[in-house]
Amino acid sequence: MSVFYKEEANIGTITFDQPDSKVNVLNSATLMTFDKILDELKGKDLKALIIQSAKKDIFIAGADIKEIENITELVDGKAKAQAGQRVMDKLEDLPYPTVAVIDGVALGGGCELALACRYRIMTFNDKLRIGLPEVNLGFVPGFGGTYRLVRLVGLAQGLTMIVSGNPISSSAAFKCGLADRLYPSVGLSERVKEFIEEISAQPANRIFKPVAFKGFQAFLEKNPLGHKVIYWQTTKLIEKKDPKGFYPSFLKAVEVIQKTKYLPRERALDIESSTFAQLAITPVSKNLVKVFYLSEKYKKLIMPGAEAIKPMPITKAAVIGAGVMGGGIAQLLSDRGVWARLKDINQEAIAKGLKAAYDVYAQAMKRKKVRAPEVAAKMAMISGTVDYSGFSDVDIAIEAVVENLDIKKKVFAQVSEVISSKAILASNTSSLSVTEMARAAKDPSRVIGFHFFNPVHRMPLIEIITTEYTSLQTLVSTLEFAKRLGKTPVIVKDAPGFLVNRILLGYINEAGRIFDEGGSIKEIDRLATNFGMPMGPFTLSDEVGLDVGVKVLHVLETGLGARFKSVKIFDEVLLKKFLGKKSGKGFYIYGKKRIVNPEVQGLVKISSSIQEQEAIERMIYIMINEAALILQEKVVDTPDAVDIGMIMGTGFPPFRGGLLRYADSIGIDRLVEGLEKLEARFKDGRFKPCAYILDLKNRGGKFYQ
Amino acid sequence: MDRIAIVDGIRTPFSKMGANFNNLSAQELGRIAARELIERMGLDVKLIDEVIFGCVAQPAEAANIARVIALLAGVPKTTPAFTVHRNCASGIEAVVNAAIKIKAGEGSCYLTGGTESMSNIPFLLSKEYQEILTEISRAKTLPAKLQSFAKIRAHHFLMPRIGLQMGLTDPVCGLNMGQTAEVLVKEFGITRREQDEFALASHQKAIAAREILREEIIPVIPGPKYKEAVIDDNGPREGQTLEALAKLKPFFEKGTGTVTAGNSSQVTDGACAILVVSESRAKELGMKPLGFLRSFAFAGVEPNRMGIGPAHAIPKALKKAGMKLSDMQAIEINEAFASQVIACERALASEKFAKDFGYEGYTGAIDPAKLNVHGGAIALGHPVGTTGARLILTMLKTLKRNDLNVGIASLCIGGGQGAAVILER
Repeated sequence: MSVFYKEEANIGTITFDQPDSKVNVLNSATLMTFDKILDELKGKDLKALIIQSAKKDIFIAGADIKEIENITELVDGKAKAQAGQRVMDKLEDLPYPTVAVIDGVALGGGCELALACRYRIMTFNDKLRIGLPEVNLGFVPGFGGTYRLVRLVGLAQGLTMIVSGNPISSSAAFKCGLADRLYPSVGLSERVKEFIEEISAQPANRIFKPVAFKGFQAFLEKNPLGHKVIYWQTTKLIEKKDPKGFYPSFLKAVEVIQKTKYLPRERALDIESSTFAQLAITPVSKNLVKVFYLSEKYKKLIMPGAEAIKPMPITKAAVIGAGVMGGGIAQLLSDRGVWARLKDINQEAIAKGLKAAYDVYAQAMKRKKVRAPEVAAKMAMISGTVDYSGFSDVDIAIEAVVENLDIKKKVFAQVSEVISSKAILASNTSSLSVTEMARAAKDPSRVIGFHFFNPVHRMPLIEIITTEYTSLQTLVSTLEFAKRLGKTPVIVKDAPGFLVNRILLGYINEAGRIFDEGGSIKEIDRLATNFGMPMGPFTLSDEVGLDVGVKVLHVLETGLGARFKSVKIFDEVLLKKFLGKKSGKGFYIYGKKRIVNPEVQGLVKISSSIQEQEAIERMIYIMINEAALILQEKVVDTPDAVDIGMIMGTGFPPFRGGLLRYADSIGIDRLVEGLEKLEARFKDGRFKPCAYILDLKNRGGKFYQ
Repeated sequence: MDRIAIVDGIRTPFSKMGANFNNLSAQELGRIAARELIERMGLDVKLIDEVIFGCVAQPAEAANIARVIALLAGVPKTTPAFTVHRNCASGIEAVVNAAIKIKAGEGSCYLTGGTESMSNIPFLLSKEYQEILTEISRAKTLPAKLQSFAKIRAHHFLMPRIGLQMGLTDPVCGLNMGQTAEVLVKEFGITRREQDEFALASHQKAIAAREILREEIIPVIPGPKYKEAVIDDNGPREGQTLEALAKLKPFFEKGTGTVTAGNSSQVTDGACAILVVSESRAKELGMKPLGFLRSFAFAGVEPNRMGIGPAHAIPKALKKAGMKLSDMQAIEINEAFASQVIACERALASEKFAKDFGYEGYTGAIDPAKLNVHGGAIALGHPVGTTGARLILTMLKTLKRNDLNVGIASLCIGGGQGAAVILER
């Protein structure tokens, strides 16, 4: 049983405590049990009913997403929402005060349950988060959240919480009226008893009272004109976040609230459940749920079979190379409480690295995310050196020097001599052979790739690159470290381009070919963003620098084959020094406004025969084929590793579920057909479906079984 | 006998007030020195028993600056820390406190040092103005606030009390430090020229010692701009000349004075960190000390003649160690003012002085070749809370570099004291 009831001195307590689980989840079984208990309690004359959780740091984590994932029919979706709504209504209708006591995470259904109570008591627990994240899974709250939250905390706060999906802390909850009281976790049950005495004394306390607003806030909330302003602002924000409208749940959430704000409960809930059902069965929602699972799996990734190995705790790191990446890595380390010893060849370089680190903090200070004393204390964790002093006690040394194998090998050889026999030697290389570097080190078993993405503080992915020498201990420790730094790790075997760059550069190169054939830079980029990529290939090239891109293409060509030979036109662009953003001009010119660089566009004659559908197919299919090769060569183990890498490392559209999920949605047969058609046209082997894909076709299988 | 080992030390460059370190607080300077010492030594911070730092103008926002420095430098929060103040000898006081604690068996490993940011010594409001402002903030109604506001006069905010000035003025005798130097000028008949020559020598020695001094200095890249590294002390002037010095007007006594900005120490920012460990513990930990603290002494003198302090502290320290002045192979007398150092030299060389104060056998003439061999505060600057520690560090490095065995470092102290420490290898 997941739900227990006990009664003492006329006060009832319902406790959620799911067996064999760290969290409480409102699956149908639990809801049914809860429902039964509520039926029994309906007739009682209790002083108050307390609803609490027995789990540490968790109230109720939400509904069972698996159950929602399995919904394929509108009627099932509506029924599921209605089932939950009815239980919450029952709770709301109890004739005595109900008090939700929340000492941990209360998301989705957990928050909706709390909303159906008369009072919400929360604690100062740092881990406490309350909110309605359903929009991020592609649907809307379905257990009365859209009905109750706005009525309680007002339109502005309610809309923000529902549309952003972001949960808030207990102090924020108290500020906006979502929490009635905050108590320390210690002695909580006594405080709750005292609270019940307090509210019992006045019968008026039993009646629902929305939050009272003052001043300008009151104007916005009470006035239909004010409402218009709020809806308008929210819609503008959504358009900014999702300009192409790939994620319908945001606007739908606004729509539900707008429609139901003044409706009585039954009608409001009816609209909510219908909207929930409509969205829950969409492919977008299904994909977002899959991406959610993917993200959870990889954020908490553990090595199967390595449970016995204890990861080495890492308290101090050395960073060699104080460039943009080195400075960014030092900032990340300092932010996560890891001491950073930043080395470079001279003080000027170190100054640049410190500045890069500080600039990240300065931005955060501007956005009021952190205050000056905290920044001072964190910057204090970074110190610079031109020699190897301070290296003897580091737990990990991360090299981020220039992308030159000889220099990196030299660094590895030198650093091997100065670090301890336990310390890990990691490389942030994006394209060079970690195996070669390992051979240059004193102890290759402690060498591993640790590839961050730019900018370090914002990009969530980290590629952990293993060589044939990397020990399991090194891998386990590095994996833990990646998670400690708040990154999502994907484990990749050492091969040219690893995972992300190998796939991405194929995409950029193909875009280059389309351009060479007479394509428009703007149109090609538009095709990609219409597909859902966060930026088009030429915008991306300008961000990274065409020189960097071409250099990596050479490495990939040498290591993987002629398909990576960089398009000749790129050389012409490079000759004119149009490197990209860093030189002010690339495929675009970066002034007050960004415009296409006519000198680059002018290198080709625009051809009217370029077909849009084929162009986008080429760019995406070449990525899929390469991803399949990566699986074929066992560079990563599973398709979900490819997908998490592409989503977190390049922003591949989550609404498509990932590159290979998208491939499955096309269907392997259609994919092969498309590839063979392109191969017939270009005849150079790059579109030839690889063995992995052909094997899938022959078996009638999919990337995701 | 378990001696007191000075294991290692490091200092920031010394920067003239208002220059490169203008935006670095004293706690930030101290933290930089402390952290870098920890990094360079590969020191396990858990070994530190306590952190002791000297600081004169202790910033209001960093009460017990030693604790702030300790926490920011990564010393465990369970390790206690305290701050000491003996005016210009606060740096020495920190090291001496560690020695005393070691001798008392309180601990065996101490992170000490000194820090000062004279650039950031604030201006202060007059008490009258402070009370008016307090009144305004306490007043509950707007009319009441305005009423209090009307009491403000121009002089309240146009004439703040200048912290630096107040700090450098002795409250008992009412003279500022420069004026006490003028007292000694008259007492010992020291000429303007003698002071300028002394100052010139200080600059020349400091310039010549640039490379050598880099051995004890860590480059500092001041935030938040992080533009470039400060590598050397910026006080020493290349191409300093007697003529240039002679042009300066007396700073502390108009018309008749001889003490100028050129023959006085410079107002400066800087910090220094030193690790003090008992000899046996240092051996246990495999540390190779720079040297050992042989003896120390403090002596009191009239506040209006504070500059003569070293002439009293030196014999006292020698007597404690059972050594003679001629035994000292290197001597540092902090150059608060050229006149004050010269006065000390003359006093120590005088038999009458020795007789008057009972210092016979512990005074003598100082060989100029042994004195302040790499320049002194006139060229390098005098961040008041730090200098004492720097003198110890510089002295030990000098002894080591030249394969010498024993030296004495001393300072005069505002308020009328002198301090001296004997260091041996």
